[in-house]
Amino acid sequence: MKSRLFSLAIYLTATLSGVLVLLYPFFLPTLSSQTGFGTYRAGEMPALMTLLLGLCLLVLLVEAQVPVMNTKLIALLGVLVAINSALRFIETAIPGPGGFTPIFFLIILVGYVFGGRVGFLMGALTMLVSALVTGGVGPWLPGQMFTAGWVGMSAPLLRPIAGSIRSKKMAGRKVGVNLEIISLALFGMAWGFIYGAIMNLWQWPFIIGPQAQSWAAGLSLGMTIQHYLAFYLVTSLVWDTIAALGNVLLILAFGAATLKALRRFQQRFAFKYSVDGNNASVRQGERSAQ
Amino acid sequence: MKQPWAWVIWLVAVLVMLTITRNPLYLVLIIMCVAFVGLALRDIGESFPQPFSMWKFAGWIILLATAFNALTSHFGDTVLFTIPGNIPLISGNVTLEAMVYGATNGLILTGMLAGFTVLNLALPVRDLISLIPRAFFPVAVVTSIAVTYLPTTLRQIQQIREAQEVRGHQMRSLRDWLPLLMPLLVGSLEHAMQLAEAMTARGFASSKPGTSRQAIYPRLLMLIGVLLLAAGWVVQLGTTGWSGWVLIVLGIILVISGLWSLGRQSRRTVYHRPGWGWQDGLVILGVVLMIAAGTLPIPGMGGETMYYEPYPVLKLPGFSLWMGISLLALLIPGLVAISRGAKEKRFSEVEKAGG
Repeated sequence: MKSRLFSLAIYLTATLSGVLVLLYPFFLPTLSSQTGFGTYRAGEMPALMTLLLGLCLLVLLVEAQVPVMNTKLIALLGVLVAINSALRFIETAIPGPGGFTPIFFLIILVGYVFGGRVGFLMGALTMLVSALVTGGVGPWLPGQMFTAGWVGMSAPLLRPIAGSIRSKKMAGRKVGVNLEIISLALFGMAWGFIYGAIMNLWQWPFIIGPQAQSWAAGLSLGMTIQHYLAFYLVTSLVWDTIAALGNVLLILAFGAATLKALRRFQQRFAFKYSVDGNNASVRQGERSAQ
Repeated sequence: MKQPWAWVIWLVAVLVMLTITRNPLYLVLIIMCVAFVGLALRDIGESFPQPFSMWKFAGWIILLATAFNALTSHFGDTVLFTIPGNIPLISGNVTLEAMVYGATNGLILTGMLAGFTVLNLALPVRDLISLIPRAFFPVAVVTSIAVTYLPTTLRQIQQIREAQEVRGHQMRSLRDWLPLLMPLLVGSLEHAMQLAEAMTARGFASSKPGTSRQAIYPRLLMLIGVLLLAAGWVVQLGTTGWSGWVLIVLGIILVISGLWSLGRQSRRTVYHRPGWGWQDGLVILGVVLMIAAGTLPIPGMGGETMYYEPYPVLKLPGFSLWMGISLLALLIPGLVAISRGAKEKRFSEVEKAGG
């Protein structure tokens, strides 16, 4: 219990610190009296941001990997990350329209089926491995790993919705068969926009553009948000809309079959080896039934 | 050359050089050096089977990167033709400069892919696993499995596509990709099952976890470290003094101490620790000198030729002979492999003659 609370404290601290680092353009005006458009500490900030995000990410990875310390989950994650990295590799070689990317589809479904920690590792490691093989290593990588990790980590939040759908089905009430997939598709759509909005933040303060869209030290929080929204609408909305629609289409087209396959293998993976032999090696959950 | 770290340092050098130059002449030279190393490994039989045609794949990457940039970036003075209408992103002038910029992107991607392919050819999985830092061993094993399994995945995609084509399957809509995705997913998960059994049989992650106090102490260090980092970040944003930096440095020390302490608790058995040879030293010396030549402002070296921008008007990229010679340091692993291959061939011939 103490260990779980401690683990939760580390998760929250590392996640909130990461959010603090990423969202600094919004609260900086209240901390600093310096002014100037798009040039504020442009030399030191990206490096410092990368360093701090990287360290928060390392702490989160250390914490997330603890329950994954068994060969089955390690091998499972390894091949799933390889599939996702291959998809990103193909996408880099044959670019899709706008911000379309096939990787979030699998990150969301794996997080949804296998849980938040596996989902976090799936998102973060997909970005790492695919960056290594596509040449995407740069100051943006810790931010990408962090945000993609959150995508996978937050997917299990949909489980209560799916649970209520299942219980209604079991109670004999007629419910649309694909409501679970539709809720996952809507979740994917939301992340299509949120991912783009978060990833813009690491570079927005240093982009020199029209004054109404640029970050400026000394602006109020409301004005900073207003400037960012204008910047986002002009530069990213179309791009991220395509990303969000891509997530929706992929989940609607392949979600049901992929969920079925992942759940089947989740059951196959749910056993423990025992030194006492076959009689003691049981599937998880079966021991209590025996 | 059997020391995995020497190969990793060679790969990092390839990535560094590909990152710091956009001169197409140097990029082509780097790719040729990397390809030479790959071919040398293949010729002496030290490599694993090549998963796909690297040259064909490189051709596609360069072609598509060129076409993509030409159609979406409309900067540059040498207009080849104009796409009429108001199609978002696409309509506008297609320029020679945008095509060259896109092709340069394709060359960089090809070089990076080639570098990783050679690393996969040169190092077996056990050597990749030996590079894992102890604190991150589960995550690092996942990463090394993924990196190793990636070429197989690409080959599987190709095989499944060909098998479906033979059956008359056509890709008309998004749903037609399902017969390609599902065999890939299920086949990979089956592979994961076999891999897990093999790892369990070899005793991977079978040691008993440490006591709760042992586990909590390094995590406590990391927790305090992250808190200090966050506090230092806020202080640093608001002031220009050193107080924020002090907190950040303290936070970094605590996080690294926690990771180090956690790593000490992970026991790892090493069956065979690869040693260092003079060939490894030669590779490291060569690539360090090459990176120094590429990054330091050495007079007469021609460092300025590393930077090349095709915009706004296309001009020929510069080329410094000294810089070109320094890039040849990337050939050393290939030369070492050829020399060892020749020695082994002579040895086997002498053995045959004697026997």
